[in-house]
Amino acid sequence: MMTKNIVSYGVYLPFLRIKRDEYVNALGSCSAAIKEKAVMDIDEDVITMAVEAARDAIADVDISQIGVLTLASTNFPYQEKVMTGTVIEALRLNKNVLTCQHGNSALAGTEAFLAALGMLEQTEQKYALVIVSDSLSADASMDIEHGFGAAACAFVLAKDEPGLEFEGAYAYTGESMGLRYRLPGETSVRDIGVKTYATQAYNDTVKNAVWGLLGQLGRNPVDYSHVILHQNDVKTASALGKKIGFNEEQMKEGLLFNLVGDTGACSAMLGLCQVLDNIASNDKVIVCSYGSGAGSHALSFKSTNQLLKRTKSFKAMLNKKQYINYIQYLKLKRNI
Amino acid sequence: MGAHISIPMYQRAVPQRYRLAGQKCLKCGKVNFPPKAVCKYCLTGAEFEEIQLSGRGIVYSYTVIAGGGAPPEFSEEARCKGKYPVVLVELEEGPRVIAQLVNPPAEGITIGMKVEAVFRKIYEEEGVIRYGFKFRPATSDS
Amino acid sequence: MEGVAIIGAGQTRYGDFPNKGVKELFAEAYLEMLQSVDQSLDPQMIQAAYIGCLSAGSGFQLGQLAPLLMGHVGLPNVNAVRIENACASGGFALYNAACAVASGKFDLVVAAGVEKMRDVSSSKGRYWLGVSGDTEYERLAGSTFAGIYALMAARYMHEYGLKREHLSMVAVKNHKHAVANPKAQFRKEITIEQAMNGVPVAHPFNVWDCSPTTDGAAVVLLCNAKIARNFTSKPVYLKGFGAASDYLAIHDRNSITRLAATRKAAAEAYKQAGIGPGDVNFAEVHDCFTIAEILAYGDLGFCEEGRAHYLLEEGVTQLNGKLPVNSSGGLKAKGHPIGATGCGMACEIFKQLRDEAKEPSRQIKNARFALSHNVGGSGGTAAVFIYQRGDE
Ligand SMILES: CC(C)(COP(=O)(O)OP(=O)(O)OC[C@H]1O[C@@H](n2cnc3c(N)ncnc32)[C@H](O)[C@@H]1OP(=O)(O)O)[C@@H](O)C(=O)NCCC(=O)NCCS
Ligand SMILES: [Zn+2]
Repeated sequence: MMTKNIVSYGVYLPFLRIKRDEYVNALGSCSAAIKEKAVMDIDEDVITMAVEAARDAIADVDISQIGVLTLASTNFPYQEKVMTGTVIEALRLNKNVLTCQHGNSALAGTEAFLAALGMLEQTEQKYALVIVSDSLSADASMDIEHGFGAAACAFVLAKDEPGLEFEGAYAYTGESMGLRYRLPGETSVRDIGVKTYATQAYNDTVKNAVWGLLGQLGRNPVDYSHVILHQNDVKTASALGKKIGFNEEQMKEGLLFNLVGDTGACSAMLGLCQVLDNIASNDKVIVCSYGSGAGSHALSFKSTNQLLKRTKSFKAMLNKKQYINYIQYLKLKRNI
Repeated sequence: MGAHISIPMYQRAVPQRYRLAGQKCLKCGKVNFPPKAVCKYCLTGAEFEEIQLSGRGIVYSYTVIAGGGAPPEFSEEARCKGKYPVVLVELEEGPRVIAQLVNPPAEGITIGMKVEAVFRKIYEEEGVIRYGFKFRPATSDS
Repeated sequence: MEGVAIIGAGQTRYGDFPNKGVKELFAEAYLEMLQSVDQSLDPQMIQAAYIGCLSAGSGFQLGQLAPLLMGHVGLPNVNAVRIENACASGGFALYNAACAVASGKFDLVVAAGVEKMRDVSSSKGRYWLGVSGDTEYERLAGSTFAGIYALMAARYMHEYGLKREHLSMVAVKNHKHAVANPKAQFRKEITIEQAMNGVPVAHPFNVWDCSPTTDGAAVVLLCNAKIARNFTSKPVYLKGFGAASDYLAIHDRNSITRLAATRKAAAEAYKQAGIGPGDVNFAEVHDCFTIAEILAYGDLGFCEEGRAHYLLEEGVTQLNGKLPVNSSGGLKAKGHPIGATGCGMACEIFKQLRDEAKEPSRQIKNARFALSHNVGGSGGTAAVFIYQRGDE
């Protein structure tokens, strides 16, 4: 049977960061347990970040062999428009690549990944490019806004080329109302703000997806070197990971929330990128996304070979930054 | 108020703006960017091969625009940032091009500094986002 | 080729005139020009008019402005045309008028320029200042002309060791010259400290490195040299005139520490006049930004490229120096009503070469040859003129 493997990946983190202290100084408190978070510049949006992450991912890939492009974000700059077209022109991809866009919830990232796996069967070409780029927005007056960050990552999937082999996926989806949603035309996320209710929805959904996948593959938590769970904050994600049976060692490299903020559809996939920088042969990785509403996709991977060497390390990107103050932040968000 | 670059006109320049598509003169072999009808080096060649520019180059000259020096469609950017740098970049392949510099180094911009192209929003007109390239300091570990 | 003489010149004061529009400004300059013609002239003898203007008062009459203006001053039936080459519109109006006379086709031709810039908000003003650079790249890099000239200045500093002070020396000098000029927009001296510490516009420029936005008009009357003495005993001869263009966008030019258009135009003008840079007694040059005057010194042959700052240090181009430059105050302090500027320079030289500079303190004595230099935008076009006094 054909294997499908991640052979290359790319990351884009905005250059600008705001520290938690800035919120504390300006507002007296910060509702998000971040150290700092990534902030898009005034001339950035999820499409510009997507293009940069993809350029990083395809730097050493024969782009004429890319036959699939899937793109995910909860915050596209247009509500209606084929935005893969912008990406295709910017990257000079073939115009006949199979495309799809995923949005509407933070599940979009893994949706785009799963879609690419399926669409890869429909093309003669060797590669699929998956791009997940997200930035969340809410009014500055809302507590939920404090943790909202921005980032993009991209993956090149290949047929039968050694890399990070996709082993299987398990989904778990049900109804859970009132958590992080938007009505048509709204730019600010809403949330009823009931903490325990929200945590319970997250815990149940993610846990069931991960357990489902472990059961399906006949594995135990100890079989994995790395686990990356979607992070609305580090504490809840860590606590849940422990409850499922993972230890800190397995989780630590996938935790990014405290440095980049909540990156929505990117969250779990971005953690995967950091893990991939140092992955060893035969390491197994489990990734689980979460979109409020609510659903989770758990994905399992096995490292079979070195991935394409990257020019920029994730660590270096985390360190390349410039801090802004809260006033500048509000200006960038067009609040003043 | 904008620069009256219509949407169809912007669209026609998408290959050069989104990914720096250059022209290699079939007569003298030199690279033109932005595109010309007649090669600016040999002044006779009118046939070209499209080539993909690397986006890498060095700063040939620079300025930092403050509010009073900004065209009106950039005044929001000027207001937001206070000021923004504009650079004249000599590309690896030869031609020079003018564009904004993002993420300017704290220690200041210098002539000769290495830069690389980055995909950004240039401005917005008629509700349509005009994307294109700007430059940023070359990432040191590349 | 016929000889060309200037027999009359007039201009409004340059400045900010809420009560005057394009038509009023033009008429004021035109009527002053008629008055300056010593002997009687029937205006109906004027055969053609070349009128430089960029924005036609922020677009109120972009089409057929010239017939509108000529009709406004009682000459509805001349051959009237608007000439547009941004800040060199006036210079190209003068150039085309000179060619028309030199060709023998016409004997009496008006060359004029007018601009109304102070009628609009600063944002709209910057809109108009940005229509004459390369709009696809320069403007979309977020730069107006200040930014483009700033790129030239930064490179010049890098290559030739020009200092920030040198830029300010141009501003200080030109402001000083403008004090005695009743036609100037700014008639106040500034100190070098002031000039170096203004509000930033585009690094390394601050506001004192920039010409202002200005209302104004200037009109000169050209005449076939053979009949010039029918109208005046003191004609000023236009001995040479050259004009040229260059790549519009700065990134297409080989060198950005010189303006190729100026060099080509100057060579043409010098050759026609049969003189060289060493023969020029004083000059009005295009100092839309301080660096522009510095570039002009090299491009017009007053010094070698890269050595202009030594002329400033030595005071050569001061009013009392060996080669006074911008006795009027230049664009910097006299003002820069885009389309009018090129003809306004001719007005200044006309007055100076006839020993009629208002305020005797600013009269340049014993001058025989003068030069004017008018640049479109960042050097996409340029026109250069050589004048000779005619009462010798
Ligand atoms: C320099 C510049 C940006 C200043 O614009 P601004 O800040 O909107 O200026 P304003 O007209 O509002 O004037 C504000 C004050 O500064 C003064 N000022 C404006 N421009 C000035 C200049 N160039 N030099 C000295 N003083 C100036 C005004 O007199 C006014 O003073 P006041 O408050 O005492 O009356 C503008 O004059 C400009 O764009 N100049 C360049 C023009 C140009 O590009 N021409 C084409 C050349 S190729
Ligand atoms: Zn050629």
